[in-house]
Amino acid sequence: MSDTILMRVTELAKRYGDTVAVDRISFAVAEAEVFTLLGPNGAGKTTTLEILEGIRRPDSGAIEVFGRQMPRIDRAAKQRIGVLLQEGNFEPYLKVREVLHLIGSFFPVARPVNEVLESISLANKANALVKTLSGGQKQRLAIGAALINNPDLVFLDEPTTGLDPQARRNIWEIVSALTRAGKTIILTTHYMEEAETLSDAICVMDHGKIIAKGSPRELTASLAQETFIEFAVPEVSEQQLARLACECETLREQAGLISLQTEDLIDTIDRLLSWSREEAVSIANMTVRQPNLEDVFLALTGRRLRE
Amino acid sequence: MNALRSLLLAEARIFLRDRMSLIFTALFPLLFIVIFGSLMSDFGSSGGARLGVLLSPDADLEVLGTVLDSLGNIEWRTFEPLDALDTAIEKRQIDLGIQWSGARIEFIYNAHRTQENYAYEEIARAIVSRLELAAQGASSVLAVKHESVGSGSEADWFTLVVPGILSFSILSAGLFAIAGHLSSMKERRLLSRYLVTPMRPSALLFAIAVVRLAVVFSSTLLTLAVAMLMFRLHYDIDWFRYILFIIASTLGTMGLGTVIARVVRQASSASNLASAISLVMMFVSGIYFPIEIMPAFLQKLSLAMPLRHMADVMRYVTGVMDMPDRDYWIILGAFVGLAFALFPLLARYVVTAEKH
Amino acid sequence: MKDVLRLAGAQIRVTLRERVSLFWFLVFPLLLLTLLTLIFSGLGEDPRMTFDIALFQQSVPQAEAPDFAGIVEHVFTDASKPVGDRPPLFRLTIHAADAVSRYEEEMERLRLGRLDLVVVVPAGFNDAVLSHLGGSDEAAAPIEIYTSAGRASSTMAHDVVRQILAGVDREILAIAGRFNREAAVSITRREIGTGTEAFSYIDFLLPGIVLMGFFTAGLFSVPGTILFGREQGILKRYWVTPLSTSRFLLGFGIGHMALCGVQFSLAWLLAAVAFGARVSFFSLLPALYLVLAIVVFLAFGFLIASLAKTGNAGMAIANIVNMPMMFLGGLFFPISDLPLPLKILMMGNPLTYLADGLRTSLGVDVAVFPILATFGVPLAWILVSVAVAAHRLRLEEAT
Repeated sequence: MSDTILMRVTELAKRYGDTVAVDRISFAVAEAEVFTLLGPNGAGKTTTLEILEGIRRPDSGAIEVFGRQMPRIDRAAKQRIGVLLQEGNFEPYLKVREVLHLIGSFFPVARPVNEVLESISLANKANALVKTLSGGQKQRLAIGAALINNPDLVFLDEPTTGLDPQARRNIWEIVSALTRAGKTIILTTHYMEEAETLSDAICVMDHGKIIAKGSPRELTASLAQETFIEFAVPEVSEQQLARLACECETLREQAGLISLQTEDLIDTIDRLLSWSREEAVSIANMTVRQPNLEDVFLALTGRRLRE
Repeated sequence: MNALRSLLLAEARIFLRDRMSLIFTALFPLLFIVIFGSLMSDFGSSGGARLGVLLSPDADLEVLGTVLDSLGNIEWRTFEPLDALDTAIEKRQIDLGIQWSGARIEFIYNAHRTQENYAYEEIARAIVSRLELAAQGASSVLAVKHESVGSGSEADWFTLVVPGILSFSILSAGLFAIAGHLSSMKERRLLSRYLVTPMRPSALLFAIAVVRLAVVFSSTLLTLAVAMLMFRLHYDIDWFRYILFIIASTLGTMGLGTVIARVVRQASSASNLASAISLVMMFVSGIYFPIEIMPAFLQKLSLAMPLRHMADVMRYVTGVMDMPDRDYWIILGAFVGLAFALFPLLARYVVTAEKH
Repeated sequence: MKDVLRLAGAQIRVTLRERVSLFWFLVFPLLLLTLLTLIFSGLGEDPRMTFDIALFQQSVPQAEAPDFAGIVEHVFTDASKPVGDRPPLFRLTIHAADAVSRYEEEMERLRLGRLDLVVVVPAGFNDAVLSHLGGSDEAAAPIEIYTSAGRASSTMAHDVVRQILAGVDREILAIAGRFNREAAVSITRREIGTGTEAFSYIDFLLPGIVLMGFFTAGLFSVPGTILFGREQGILKRYWVTPLSTSRFLLGFGIGHMALCGVQFSLAWLLAAVAFGARVSFFSLLPALYLVLAIVVFLAFGFLIASLAKTGNAGMAIANIVNMPMMFLGGLFFPISDLPLPLKILMMGNPLTYLADGLRTSLGVDVAVFPILATFGVPLAWILVSVAVAAHRLRLEEAT
């Protein structure tokens, strides 16, 4: 990760009628880093992405990319950008090879199709029609299309959604390879693990604004004092729970699952054990853990990543 | 009973909101009537022709004039000189030209009107036969009395077309109910969603059939009404047989739609196949072109088309053409039989999961 | 340029690979061509039909009196004999005077269409003829014809029988010395508009089918591809690349034109090889009309696409527009006299002008419209379509 800023966004804004989707946000993406945009649905994340991908016009703000200022992403910029769209299809009746060939022709310079096919492990499906591909294969094809122009900046919009763990790991490897090769990645995801593992920098959005910025470690450090205790209980009422008099944040996850956030671990455990004896409530599957990104996100937005 | 009612309402709403179905079953027939009513009226009947006459100086107009006037169905006027007549024929302002010198008559045709000239040739023959007698001062020995037997009293060609179009809209409604509507439900996995509930497949089929029947009844009656009001056609409807046949043929064509849906692997191709088949049938079933003008093998082919028989029956029940009543019941029975025979096939189609 | 060409190539491949679009693009026009030619090929030629006729001879010949009824019968019998290798005109059954019960039967058969026509020579026919010939005030001798209502073959039989009876009429008059066959009017016939050869229906039909093919391709395939492509996110994948919408449309248009070219070639090939079509498109004016037609309907397709939000809505609009435009464009049947509202539709329809211009330039028809109109109206349509589409069509609409 270098110090050069590849993309800088300043006071970017977009509204739809009365709704402000993107509310004058600013951030910078360094070269060769993985920059992750996090936010619940409706946070303005999608709109921001579409503006940066060049398929939506901002109302105001400046974009600087590849050392050039531009009001919106222009054609010249697109030549060095690769985009993996979250939604979208390829022509079902084209062959895999033909799709890459076609999209490659939109750029002044493109990698050889066979090389791309190898890199996405679709060489054996080169002559298969798109409509015969599985979900994972289609995703790999989409990645191939995003990388065919050997882009310097790559947008990966939910690259592993709906894929099995093995496929997900394959994608992570591709991402690592890309950063090792000096590419810059702008990522969005619903998976906390993915955000934590892959990101160099994270930007959390909500209601059109940026509410937190930093590396995963920096973000979780905001909750550094906290420890989380999670355990399962059978049916327990609100009153009963209220009698657990600890200095902690209590959260009932789902029926039967309780989560406690506390700064004083020992004291809380002590009270928890007393409570279980007094209320005759049996506790099972208790885990004690350090805060993670999910907790940070929840603390910041009140919602979960995956909602 | 509740499930049935909700299904009925849902199916009705879906149908009304699906613009394509609405167009093909309701708008289509109306549009066809209006367009074809005006276009094809010279087919089969010698309708009003426009004649142009050029006389040589010594020719007697009176004789020719009397003959022409006696023909009826003809407007005529004189032209001068020959070029003017030729040009008028070329530009189709005149259908048939006559050059009459008293001893010689020449008929002038527009060579490009290959389809219409046979009608004008008939007119020419009629003129010749009367003219020959009139020129010699002779009058016909024979007085030909013509009577048309059967209902419809010499129904003109367009009156016959309308029931044909009605039968086409019934065919469309029935075919597309299955090879279109139901098949797309299957493709979109909607059927699976219904089937994991206690809903009985027969209830769904019943709802679909009832909605289609309602549509068919409304659209055929509306089309008939328009035809009768706008073109002043006359129909003598046998309501009992009409209603029975509409029910039987709608159900029967739903059965046919099942066959189509089973034949194609992909549900979306079903409606395309149904469109193609119904369009081809339309041409070969004697709906627009009298069957008799087709070559013999096509005439035989039309006997195998359900649409041909539907058209015949619709003409019968609207009182413009006769058929033995026995034939009516046979055809009715055939459609009912088709519906019953194919019902198990249809039920199985509904219940089997969509293959990839 | 390579992006444009690759887009065109992809467009062609996709259309030819998808069974549904292949059918409507290629198979259906050819099918229609075949059907219509087969159906109408017999028209204008001598009808080789045989009519089923019954003749009731109720007149009884008197000795030593001329038997005019017999003449009538004789003429019909003659017409029931085959001539050379051609089938006879009638299948005739003759019933004698006393066959009263058969009369009811045969009339019933007539009513049901099993018979095409019934002729009745009533009793006293010979006397009636004689008395008419005797004094000119006397009424003509009646002879009865019955046809089956609503049946085309009966109507045709009627026309034929009328001609025959007219011939009988003259023959009787000739025998009676009232009609001089030698002095009969001489009849000749002339045709306007034949060049060197007579054109058959296929030569008239082919240009119409070709235009119809271009029309349905533009009307359905163009908005279908664009709208469904947009709806399903296929186009979105293009817009994140440097590809511009204008280059996309150019590539799309080139692909479309190539497909229309394939369609045209197949139709021409089929018409020439299977049906003996003789028209030739290998000259400037026809070729111009063909290209013009392709472009008009391509633009029209964009217009339709710009009017709809979803693919299904676009197809619905296309279907509504399809039938009136196609049938009121003089493609299958020449438009002669139409009521005013339809005439207006016809005059505004680019197909009408293209069909007229194309056929005239091929020599199978005489121009109804001035040549300027046949170019001008379609060009105007292109301009309007492009203007509206450019204003309304949003290819880049991200859902």
